[in-house]
Amino acid sequence: MRVGLLPTDRGGSYRFVIMLLAILGILVSALPVVVVTIMSFSAAETSGFPPESYSLRWYGEVARLFTNEDSSSAQSVVDSTVTSLVVALIVMVISTGVCIPLAYALARGERRVREGMELLFTLPLVFPLVMLGIAFLLIAESLKLELGIWRIAIPHIALVLPFVLRNCLSAMNGISVELEEAAISLGASPMRAIWDVVIPLMKAGILAGLIFALIISFNEFTITFFMYTIDVSTLPIWMYSRTVSSLDPSTLALSVFIIAADVLLIVLVDKLIAGKGNLF
Amino acid sequence: MSTTTLSKGQALAFAAPAFIAILPFLVACVYILRFSLSAEQGVIEGISIRAYQELMTPFFGRSVWLTLKLAFIATVIVMFMAVPLAFLLTSLRGSFARRLLTVTILLPLILNLLVQAYGWILLLGPSGALNTLLKSLGLIERPLFLLFNETGVLLGLVQTSLPLAVFPIVSAVRGISKEHLEAASSLGASNWRILRDVSLPLLRPALVGAASIVFAFNASAFAIPLLLGGRRVQMMGVAIRDMISPLFNWSGAAAAGMILILLTLFVLVVSAWLVRVTTVKTKG
Repeated sequence: MRVGLLPTDRGGSYRFVIMLLAILGILVSALPVVVVTIMSFSAAETSGFPPESYSLRWYGEVARLFTNEDSSSAQSVVDSTVTSLVVALIVMVISTGVCIPLAYALARGERRVREGMELLFTLPLVFPLVMLGIAFLLIAESLKLELGIWRIAIPHIALVLPFVLRNCLSAMNGISVELEEAAISLGASPMRAIWDVVIPLMKAGILAGLIFALIISFNEFTITFFMYTIDVSTLPIWMYSRTVSSLDPSTLALSVFIIAADVLLIVLVDKLIAGKGNLF
Repeated sequence: MSTTTLSKGQALAFAAPAFIAILPFLVACVYILRFSLSAEQGVIEGISIRAYQELMTPFFGRSVWLTLKLAFIATVIVMFMAVPLAFLLTSLRGSFARRLLTVTILLPLILNLLVQAYGWILLLGPSGALNTLLKSLGLIERPLFLLFNETGVLLGLVQTSLPLAVFPIVSAVRGISKEHLEAASSLGASNWRILRDVSLPLLRPALVGAASIVFAFNASAFAIPLLLGGRRVQMMGVAIRDMISPLFNWSGAAAAGMILILLTLFVLVVSAWLVRVTTVKTKG
């Protein structure tokens, strides 16, 4: 007989209650996304559920939004999407670029220093997002900084650092010092040993960090909500300004693309760090 | 060990880029603190606690109370669903089923919050899925108002913070040795008894930690109350934003923000202390 937290046999009321609560949790997690996906295929203008008939008209609408350059709107969906992607790219490159050497130094350094630094770099995670947005806005406004796209990129970098560092650190954990020493004893310089031995071994963790940075930056709403300007705004802000008064079905079709991209990226991260460490 | 141990200078050089990257964040923290102590509303000028004194209004008090209440209720609901979900996730054998469930639970935390708000609006609106279902079942005659009030906000908070609880509990569940459960079972304990006397006590540190993170996350929520609560659900995040956007009361917003930060930090520190105390107990 298998003994576990979720018994398969002689479950009785226990198994029933556990399964019921778990299913409730799954419904709460999944239903909003499922409903958005179903409604994006609706043929009607209204948001009544279920849709009376199905069509791809809202997907056509999205395609039109992306191809017809609408000069009347201050910020088109194309501009916001490009800004979103450029910001995400900057955030990925910088956050990963600074976290790899830090992770190396922490893994090879003293334990006490490491714990303190990990704590410091976890701070952006527990700091209320709304305050992060307001604080960065306060600085940019009161110092009259002309930052362009960095207005959004700098706060995003701070936001993703905890995730990227954690992935790089757990990648470093599995790499023993002996491998480097072997390379050095064979005549490699210490930097060469890092570049040719350590970095390739960290690859999965680095990739996971890059994807985390991409997902978080691309989906970020709260901080950007405070930092965006007429010239620099991202896709979530465009969606917000379009739906602030009423729900527009073409944004639902756009949402489905975002959902699909996110699911793909999560599966990728999950595969990369399978068996080692956790998603959080 | 000698050749690859970093010298202090090397370690510093390796850490320097990351420091530069996190510096704006640290400056922002200091800036908020300084602004909250400003004597003027719009600029940093002198030192006073006027901004804090001006927050002592019934309006802000109600906002703090609402924030604590909603965050607490959401945390309780989340914990009741997170533990069963963690049990389910760890008992799944197939890697496809496990991956599907992982993605389903994790997605709400990272997916663009607007998309999720759309989902809740479509689900809970007057002509939405839930009202249509209840009406066709004959349970209600007129649509229930679930949106732009506390119910809608609560559901949104539960959904977005659920993954923060599930995944730490999953790793704790993986750490429970089968022998404990088998011993209890072979001694004739029922499943409920095993849950109460063996599993939950072993999971207690993880449960306390998860609950505190969920609470802190929900107390500082902004987008969910903004999108699902409208003007009527003034959680602290939204109230702080209103101080800036129509009112230009920067120092007031900074002071209210400091209170929010201290509140969440307090919960996290107390729970970290609780985790330490309970861990020592189970070991001894």
